[in-house]
Amino acid sequence: MSKDSRFPQKPVAQLLGSNGPIHAVSYSASPGTYILTGSADRSIRLYNPSPSSSTNTTTTTTTSSITTPNNNHRQSPPANSSKPTLRTAGGDRAVFLWDVVTAQTTRRFGATANGHSGRVNCVAFGGADDSLVISGGLDTTVRVWDARASGGGGSKPIQVLGEAKDAVTALAVSGAEIVAASVDGRVRSYDVRTGRAVTDVFPASVTSLCLARDAKTVLVGSLDSKIRLMDRANGACLRTYTHDEWRNAELRVQSVLGGRERFVVAGDEMTSSSASAVGGDIGAEGDNNNEGRVWAWDLLTGRLVARLAVPWGVMRDGRRRVVVGRDGKEKERKNVVSCLAWKEGGSGNQFCVGGTSGVVTVFGEG
Amino acid sequence: MSIKRSRATYEADLAAQQSPYVVFGTALPPLDPEVRDDGSYVPVWKQEVRDERGRKRLHGAFTGGFSAGYFNTVGSKEGWTPSTFVSSRTNRRKDAPNAEQQRPEDFMDEEDLAELEESRKIQTNAAFAGPGSTEDAVSQASGLMGLFRIEGETMGAKLLKKMGWREGQGIGPKVRRSARLELQGSAAEKGDTFLFAPDNVPMISLTRKTDHRGLGYGGQSRLTSIGHSTRGGSAANSDDEDDEENMGGFGRPSFSLAMGRKKGKDTNKSGIGIGILNDTRSDDEDPYEIGPRISYNKVIGGDRKKKKASIATNPSLKTKPVFRSKKSVLGKVALGVRRCHDGRLPLDGFVFGKEADSLTSEVNSQGKYPPPRIPPDWKSSKIPKSQTDSKEYVSTADAAKASTLNPKARAALLGEKELPGKSVFDFMSAAARERLVAATGKADLPAARGEIPAGYALTEAERLRELHKQVPMLGKDAAIAALSRGAGGGAPYADDEDKRARYRAYLEYQAGFKPALPPKPAQTSTEDWLREINEFFNCARIFKPMTGLMASRFTTSSSALNSTTSTRGEPGERDLVTKPPPKREDPAEEAARLGMFGSMTRTVAEFHPTRLLCKRFNVKPPANVQTEENTGRARTSAPTAPFDADEEGSSAVPRDLLALEFGVSSSASDGSTKDMNSLGGNMSPAVQTAEKPSIDSSKNEALEAMRAGDDVFKAIFGDSDDDDE
Repeated sequence: MSKDSRFPQKPVAQLLGSNGPIHAVSYSASPGTYILTGSADRSIRLYNPSPSSSTNTTTTTTTSSITTPNNNHRQSPPANSSKPTLRTAGGDRAVFLWDVVTAQTTRRFGATANGHSGRVNCVAFGGADDSLVISGGLDTTVRVWDARASGGGGSKPIQVLGEAKDAVTALAVSGAEIVAASVDGRVRSYDVRTGRAVTDVFPASVTSLCLARDAKTVLVGSLDSKIRLMDRANGACLRTYTHDEWRNAELRVQSVLGGRERFVVAGDEMTSSSASAVGGDIGAEGDNNNEGRVWAWDLLTGRLVARLAVPWGVMRDGRRRVVVGRDGKEKERKNVVSCLAWKEGGSGNQFCVGGTSGVVTVFGEG
Repeated sequence: MSIKRSRATYEADLAAQQSPYVVFGTALPPLDPEVRDDGSYVPVWKQEVRDERGRKRLHGAFTGGFSAGYFNTVGSKEGWTPSTFVSSRTNRRKDAPNAEQQRPEDFMDEEDLAELEESRKIQTNAAFAGPGSTEDAVSQASGLMGLFRIEGETMGAKLLKKMGWREGQGIGPKVRRSARLELQGSAAEKGDTFLFAPDNVPMISLTRKTDHRGLGYGGQSRLTSIGHSTRGGSAANSDDEDDEENMGGFGRPSFSLAMGRKKGKDTNKSGIGIGILNDTRSDDEDPYEIGPRISYNKVIGGDRKKKKASIATNPSLKTKPVFRSKKSVLGKVALGVRRCHDGRLPLDGFVFGKEADSLTSEVNSQGKYPPPRIPPDWKSSKIPKSQTDSKEYVSTADAAKASTLNPKARAALLGEKELPGKSVFDFMSAAARERLVAATGKADLPAARGEIPAGYALTEAERLRELHKQVPMLGKDAAIAALSRGAGGGAPYADDEDKRARYRAYLEYQAGFKPALPPKPAQTSTEDWLREINEFFNCARIFKPMTGLMASRFTTSSSALNSTTSTRGEPGERDLVTKPPPKREDPAEEAARLGMFGSMTRTVAEFHPTRLLCKRFNVKPPANVQTEENTGRARTSAPTAPFDADEEGSSAVPRDLLALEFGVSSSASDGSTKDMNSLGGNMSPAVQTAEKPSIDSSKNEALEAMRAGDDVFKAIFGDSDDDDE
């Protein structure tokens, strides 16, 4: 139980303001003061989740709201440590580089003949000095862009990795390696140093990737309701994280390593019928139907550590958002927790989750 | 009215005034006093012209005058826009393949188009070829008959004209006769004969009796019987009087000459029923004429003369006033100049008969000349058919329907030999018949006998061969493999010993150990047997032992599967068997599904990061990329030395080909190959295959100008074990 207590399972803040589902959350680079959210309302919001008052629910500080022409945001963490930049990928087939302070786009990659021909699903910084922007998209390609090149660098990628047979869903970069997960159930590791591309096969579409710190293992979430910790050296599966009630077969649900790589945390797509029936045992009250859930496993043992309820966000006026369908009835909504991020790249004591509720919930200790 | 009424009272008043009879609902508002809706005449200047949308289109001159189209433009918002200018110098409009042909409709507005539509009428393009006629008959065509009668020439007339016939002529061989120049005296006296076309014979048109009057009744004609008879007998008739009598009078009107001109006259004759003062459209008839009309030519010759088409061979002669001597006319009449309907004179000794006049009929009525008496025992040879026809008419189809005979009975009636064939059902199996019954819903189909036609009857051996043909052939190797696997345990059908034995027998047969298939068990049907054989076939294909890596990987997994699944054999495999043979799956995916992550699921391929990518990642480009760099450098820096050692690795084979092709001195090539060998013969095949001489567009030439050090070449070419110093 000591581990359980250490797992941050108390919702410390709710970050409101989005008018649509959250597609991506990320902490700013260390020390992770800010949280960036990319939402379906085509805007990126920057929050400071640290509570300024004692009430811990609705106190958020919206520092900046960045609106982009993208219609569907997939925003990835601003891993750039030195400069306050972030890059976003979106449904308009382009990758943007932003200056956070001025909320202006500084660079645009793609949206030309040489850019992605489909929606961009994931982006990552890479290379020495974060001089590369790597993006993977629905057009089954991973494109590497030179962020340093002036002028024409945005129109033409340095390299196009077109080995994937289906949409590229997740990217991870470590050192000189690019790891790309694809819907065709493959995880391809491109080692620039050795010039080898290692392809690992998974039984289902891979939707989530999370490299460990030492890049020796990678956490692979696939649509067969299993999260696997893979040994990257020989492709062996070190541990499989699953639960009878946890299902992930349809939606992209992110899974990350967290708590100094002690936990595996994943969202829940809430499709299992028992999603609302159970849930009172470990930390979740389960009073609200279709409340989002976050699952956490112990990395080493593979045991379920925690199952947290992600409450529906409360809007400013104190009411829940109600979505009315075309038939005039209130739509049944499910709070699918699709994206989550751990503070300081998995070493902090906080993590935040976002989903279809449009509210980012920050879980912390205490 | 100073007192203000409430709205309710006002409305009540209004209702009472305007529509006192409205009980339910709300009365229509009173008519606008400005508008007259009583249909009375409104002068033109008060009428308002509005278009179909109710807009005023005609204004006073000071308020815009006439407005049309789209806000006083023509048609569209842009108004009239000229078509795009096309220079005709290079692009001739008339040469254009689809040159726009402007039609009148293009310049019409909706009203004009509507008018155009109205003006269209249905009519026949050319007249139909109905009853043939020449031009003079066309005038008769009127009304509906015009639809069926051709106007102009019929095909027959055209043909005749081609053969030399002219209008007005008769048909037939030419006739030699003297010319009739109407001046009878002179022509006849000459005695010269010429060949003439025969005279035209007018068509006989039998007048049909449409009224209900008695035969020969000429009620509409004048009461001129006496005068007629006298005139008929007298020689004082002119020619056309004579003709008139033939037409409408008593004198045998059974047929008449088809001259339209005369029919018109016929109707003019007023009979008893017409009052004296009734206007019968003719002015020259004296209504008060009493007694026999003595008609005479009011004009000498010319128009009143009978137009004899057959005679008028020379049309120019017709117009001339011609003197006709009374003598010749009289002579003609005396000769009985009436001709038969074919234009000829009656035969010698015959005269044209006339219907008995009243006098002779009176004589007949007195019984003076009774008709011959029919002998009492005379019997007509013609048998009236009325007896047989008196029965009610039955059409053939009805009769056929009423018949109760079936084809066989009819055949028997007709004495036909019975066909040797059999029904389809005779050859049908019972199962097929059942299907047919189910499909058609008819339960009374003939019984299926399942016979086999004589020519197709198979002997037992043939049938067996036929059956064995349908047995799927398993490869010998596969059969042996499956057998060996079965011997090692874990063979299928562990729960069914008989089936297993059959399976083994099948495999042994396929492997060639046994000459024949095991005989089909008597109680199983052929279909079941074949199904089982097919199942064996699929099973054997699946159950053959895997080779190499897969075999080592799957020995445990299959046993695990065996243990985890139920007791009856291997249902998983059974499911596979019943399904169509699954498409070959990627073993890696299969391994991944089974959780065998590792070398099974891992494939390593070459990857060629671009130089810029390596630079940005701050790593040395991998070996395969460096080779590319070298080749690129060699191409740029030493194009004159094509057999530079740098290029060996990348283009060894093409260079040899080149040497062969161009006859490069063998020493050079030998040297270079030696060079290559000395540098390193055993390049890794992966590297060799990867080195495609492709130019990377993203390569920076300035960065690559620096020549790679010797260690690079060593790294590529000189890392062999034997050459290692």
